[in-house]
Amino acid sequence: MRVAKSAPVPRRPIHYVGIILSLVIIGAYFTLPFVIQPERGPSTVAVLTESKKANELGLFKTGLELIPLAALGILLLGVWNVIAPAASRAISLLMSVAGLLVVVYYINFFRDTPLGPPNEWGEGSILGSLDIAFWIMLVAGILAVLQIAIPRALPDERYRITKLFGNQESVILFGLLFLIFIVGIANPRFLQERNISDILQGNAYIAVAALGMTMVIVTGNIDISVGSLVGLLAVISGRLVVAGAPSPIAWLIPLFIGAGIGGFIGFLVAYLRIPSIVVTLGMLSIIKGILIIWTAGERVTDMPADYHLSQMRPLGIPMPIIIMVLLTIVVVLWMRYSATGRAFYALGGNAEAARLSGLSQRRLLMTVFTLNGVFVGIASVMYSTQFQIIQVTPPPALELSIITASVVGGVSILGGTGTAIGSTLATLLLNFIRSAMIFINVSPFWLKAVQGLLILATVLADLIRRRRQRL
Amino acid sequence: MQETTPAPRNPTVSEKLRRLIISQEGVLFLIMLASVLFLATRTDKFLTVDNLLQQGRFMTEIGLIAIPMTYIIITGGIDLSVGSILGLAAIVLGWTWQELGFPLELAIITAIISGTVAGFVNGLFIVRVGVPPLIMTLATLALYRGLAEGISEARSARGYPEWFFQLGQGEFLGIPTQLWLLIFAVIIFGIVLARTRLGRALYAIGNNETGARFSGLTVNRHLLFIYTFSGFMSAVAGYIFVSRVSTTRSDMGTGMELDVIAAVVLGGTSIFGGAGSVPGTIIGVVLIQLLKNGLVLAGVTSDATIVVIGSVLIFAILVNNFIQSRRGEG
Repeated sequence: MRVAKSAPVPRRPIHYVGIILSLVIIGAYFTLPFVIQPERGPSTVAVLTESKKANELGLFKTGLELIPLAALGILLLGVWNVIAPAASRAISLLMSVAGLLVVVYYINFFRDTPLGPPNEWGEGSILGSLDIAFWIMLVAGILAVLQIAIPRALPDERYRITKLFGNQESVILFGLLFLIFIVGIANPRFLQERNISDILQGNAYIAVAALGMTMVIVTGNIDISVGSLVGLLAVISGRLVVAGAPSPIAWLIPLFIGAGIGGFIGFLVAYLRIPSIVVTLGMLSIIKGILIIWTAGERVTDMPADYHLSQMRPLGIPMPIIIMVLLTIVVVLWMRYSATGRAFYALGGNAEAARLSGLSQRRLLMTVFTLNGVFVGIASVMYSTQFQIIQVTPPPALELSIITASVVGGVSILGGTGTAIGSTLATLLLNFIRSAMIFINVSPFWLKAVQGLLILATVLADLIRRRRQRL
Repeated sequence: MQETTPAPRNPTVSEKLRRLIISQEGVLFLIMLASVLFLATRTDKFLTVDNLLQQGRFMTEIGLIAIPMTYIIITGGIDLSVGSILGLAAIVLGWTWQELGFPLELAIITAIISGTVAGFVNGLFIVRVGVPPLIMTLATLALYRGLAEGISEARSARGYPEWFFQLGQGEFLGIPTQLWLLIFAVIIFGIVLARTRLGRALYAIGNNETGARFSGLTVNRHLLFIYTFSGFMSAVAGYIFVSRVSTTRSDMGTGMELDVIAAVVLGGTSIFGGAGSVPGTIIGVVLIQLLKNGLVLAGVTSDATIVVIGSVLIFAILVNNFIQSRRGEG
């Protein structure tokens, strides 16, 4: 007889999820070889499995056979869960791992599979040739991974789970992995190293600019002039090096000019008390105008070979990725552990309380805008050294991409919360989404609509999560 | 140590005048007057009736959207999706008419309804789900523009009948048709904001939302209304835009949100909410339009004008801050 230390955990429907999912997976798996679709002939998976069996070393070499084993694991965990509902936190974690195995085996299986003939899903996509049992298994596997997000324990137990997995950063990370899995299955070319690396390299500068933006937004301010500032600093850097300055100088000068302009914005905000959105709205026009007048629309070309910082690959890793990762780590640690970093949160959380605790609001605002200018400078150099030419017009609505990345990454626009890792992950998520939509053949005309919808979904998911945690 | 007596019952005329001049709108009006005079000395093509009326044509769309934007910013919110709603409404107009074969009148109504619904969706999520306005409208900025692009598939609709251009290109009693619309809208919604219960409620919400809630104001309903209103006005502006330029394209109104916000803020509306007025906003809209036009006529390249406008925006807020803080002390 067990002595009840606290109130017994009631058994709820959620506790049966493991049993149900595992039975679905096993059931679907064993129907696979027998599925015959009249219009397409026998099931693709069945054919592939058969042919591999014949050609290679037999049953356990296709990888697909490991799926029922993982499902068996989920079944056992599911039974355990029903018997001992109190232990469900640990069980659901293990179950997620088992579900992950199911999904990974799919990826593994289809990575070696030759692409099918053209079908109604488009050239070379295997989506159309897969039968329904395949999808059932996959969805069940994914559900087994995701079931951990469903709270089933008592509030105090739940608290520890949400603390680990319930923050915006994990939500985005899971979203990112989920997207990569799904799109990778639909079109394995998405997972090619070149594509992944292109997405990372091409947008690393946005992630770096979003780091600065994150700090600005954490203090309860905003900077909408960053887009045009990236354009201006990129052209300055390019023209310097074309005029004969050594490359390191051309890389550094934009940082200083960025810091100067950021400091000026900070001065207007901190000392003359103009709201940051107004100052940067004005600066947006001023910088964009100067850029157009100064360059007269002429793009910069003929940079020397050693100027292209973003094309370098020390240790085989592209430079933009290195810069992005390093800066993200630095900013995360700095904002978390330095006095100034903490003060940013304090200022954004409650300006009056921050003032009363002896923080100088003016100095903090000057610091944050100057730092933001430096990050914009770094981003602009990453942007300008990316290609052989520098366009004088930065990507349209760049400031919106940067702000969106920060906000989706969990920075509250009201200030006081948010981390740098979230903003970097969000930059990646947003750009993976864009690339993924091309790979699964979404009409290019609808790209932006789908993207807007996904941004909205992310924001809503975050709000719902926060509301849940407050309960 | 001048007259610091607490508000005399009957202020003299000179006192009234002084108060008017150092009000937000008064200062801005003087800045506008000065720039008009300055520009008039640089070129004789600027201060002509024809030119000024023509400029009225160009600023109507921004002016119409700036009115609900004033309301929204007064409550402490913001709407970044207005340019996209304008584009969406324009595309819906052209698409329902040309592709779906709606009669043009019905197409116009459909366009305005779809814009209104777009604004309503913004308001609904802001009020019901509690998404901060900046984030919500940032998302719908992309979403609505995306819908416009998706529906139009980069085709443009043109070839409208003659009567359709009356609003955007015609005249009524010698004044561009759409300018009448703007004038009426400014008068009506200016009075609504300054003199009605609805208007006062918006200020109350902007000053202290919780306080307003506890005073029994239906805050949610007010907010829902103004975001829907913003969608409606953006759609109307979209209709005027199409009528003025004779074609629809999905990129119409791109970046317009910043122009509108600049005009509203220039007009003395506090971005933190609680203060602002429709006359101020309209002075802001007019000032920006006249500066753009006057500088171009005076031989400045049109790209350079945005530098001036950006500077004027910061400068005007600076001057106003300075004067208002002096008044607060004095």
